[in-house]
Amino acid sequence: MSLGVRDILNRHKLMPGTSACPGCPENIAMRIISTALGENAVIIVVAGCSSVIQGMGPNSAYNYPVLNVAFAAGPAAASGIAAAMRTRGKNVKAVVWAGDGGTADIGMASLSGAAERNEDILYICVDNEAYMNTGGQRSGSTPIGASTTTTPMGKRHNKKNIPFIMMAHRVPYVATASVGYPHDLMEKIRKAKEIRGFSCVQVLCPDPYGWMFEPSKTAEVAKLAVQTCYWPLFECENGILKISDECLHCLDKRTRKPIQEFLKIQGRFKHADQQKIRELEEYVNEMWEKLKLMYKGNLKL
Amino acid sequence: MMEKVISGNDAVALAVKLSRVKVTGIYPITPQTYIIESLSEMKDRGELETEIIRVESEHSAMAATFGAAAAGVRAYTATASQGLLYMHEMVWWVAGSRIPVVMTVGTRAVGPPWNIWNEHTDFMSERDSGWIMAFASTPQEAMDLTITAFRITEDERVFLPMMIGMDGFILSHTKTRVYVPSQEEVDSYLPPRRQPYVLDPEDSIAMGNMFSPEDYMKLRESIHRAQIASKEVIVEAGKEYMKRVVPIGSYSTLNESYKLEDADYAVVIMGAWSLDAMQAVDELRKEGLKVGVYRVRFVRPWAEEEVVKALSDKSVLVLDRSVSFGRGGQLYTEVKASLPDTDIKGVITGLGGVSIGKNEMKVIIRKFVEKPQGIEWFYPEEARKIELRSPRYIK
Repeated sequence: MSLGVRDILNRHKLMPGTSACPGCPENIAMRIISTALGENAVIIVVAGCSSVIQGMGPNSAYNYPVLNVAFAAGPAAASGIAAAMRTRGKNVKAVVWAGDGGTADIGMASLSGAAERNEDILYICVDNEAYMNTGGQRSGSTPIGASTTTTPMGKRHNKKNIPFIMMAHRVPYVATASVGYPHDLMEKIRKAKEIRGFSCVQVLCPDPYGWMFEPSKTAEVAKLAVQTCYWPLFECENGILKISDECLHCLDKRTRKPIQEFLKIQGRFKHADQQKIRELEEYVNEMWEKLKLMYKGNLKL
Repeated sequence: MMEKVISGNDAVALAVKLSRVKVTGIYPITPQTYIIESLSEMKDRGELETEIIRVESEHSAMAATFGAAAAGVRAYTATASQGLLYMHEMVWWVAGSRIPVVMTVGTRAVGPPWNIWNEHTDFMSERDSGWIMAFASTPQEAMDLTITAFRITEDERVFLPMMIGMDGFILSHTKTRVYVPSQEEVDSYLPPRRQPYVLDPEDSIAMGNMFSPEDYMKLRESIHRAQIASKEVIVEAGKEYMKRVVPIGSYSTLNESYKLEDADYAVVIMGAWSLDAMQAVDELRKEGLKVGVYRVRFVRPWAEEEVVKALSDKSVLVLDRSVSFGRGGQLYTEVKASLPDTDIKGVITGLGGVSIGKNEMKVIIRKFVEKPQGIEWFYPEEARKIELRSPRYIK
């Protein structure tokens, strides 16, 4: 008997009764990721939506041992947990669960330190491209042109490219994923968990409230981000870059869906003028030029 | 047990080894750096079972140490000054989590201006954090308190972290005679680690997620109650230490009294310069002044009963090597709160490494006898005037 997606996803470890908003991409991510992660994991949650989504203590909707920590403390706390588990002779993966604010901004030093030390941890960034838990302020991971509550007329600076920064650390495994493509995400988590050393997966998590689209369209927006090549799906294992099948069309500019299709389905780019849109397109193009070189083996970060 | 001539930093590093610490997150900062260097050297020589995580900041040092402790092993770190302030958020996080962790604070002034020398303001700035806070007066005591800290923090009546203050340079870098216990002696003293909450794949607990306001407040109260309850644990641990490990020291009380029985005047003091105060007292007594010393060893929990018993019939001088701007010395404030009806004088001195020895102590005590109230700043010699530049409007 073959298993369908629904059967596989029923093995997830997210329990009912979370405090997530309707259409929450982080709940989708937790469902998919926990399916692939299975047992023998400890989740380290830094400040963010997931601090709230897991529900009120002493109960928890995450059916894992969870350590909630301060905003910038995730990768270091995970390093300590990994060391403790080693000394106890336990085969347990310490998994950091952080948003883009916790990753690109306040937690950057701690993340970089853990990567440089090649800690045996898995770092997951659920990237909704703003500080959504505090009501949608801009982060280092917000794309140019997007309006947030602290950039009402649109952000003037580019999105910090975290996966590239992580690849430059020469860690064993760096991947990107999107909640719109569960199989791809599961496969990457499964692989990342088996890596001995530092691995990280950045998951695009379109947020209906911050991005201003219908809560029923989360998966659709997450797919469009990939189809228009705004969000690349790739993995870099020991320096070898692989573009995921869902994204191979992006290698040729002519086969990409126009980025407008991704931008117009959401409200956060409505103030963005042509100049900003062009800059965003340039950002995406440049990223793909680099990915192409890496894919062909002509460039290593 | 064997005698060695070692510095405070050496003594603490040996205590960490003897206590079989399993994980330490380390980050250098003067004056504690030699502790973590010493641990690293022992590790590379294969003498240390501790896993060392060489992190990129003090915030991460405490986060890594906390993570290891939450995952069920004995964990330790050391810091000072700016480092302690940088990890402040995690210091609170550990106490709130009721996870036993032990830390050394090699006390040092806080900038700006840059100053690496000794004072206690960094240490004192954490006294609301929920940590048990002890302060050593000798390298021997720094070692003793570090070993006892693991027993105290892992006691079920406590389950709180503990920091041990040690005067920068004066104790951290000065070599004195230290009785170093054997591994067997420490093993017989420290029981295996226990803790209420452990990260374990078999046990899907969530630590630190949101609680209702009422539950949150209950947890806060429980920290306060554990602090109060820790007083008897500290005394038990101290007595047991003197019985099983190093049979010297004065650990049957939280704080220490010196020549106070018949004294009219008492000098309240904490840390290495307590010994200067004791010498000053010895000499002043020869001149007929009935003065003694009350050495504060534990800032948290505050030994209210001991303080009242020791000092309520004295005229009290409190020397602070730290300051709470706009209020005065922290020890002064604490003692005053315990003895509201007693005449108390507070003197703030020795900040940023200003050198205060026996002779300066005698000057301070004589002035106090003349005028036993108020708060004063004492400089051992005529200090030049320091003023802000005259302000200008900015174009």
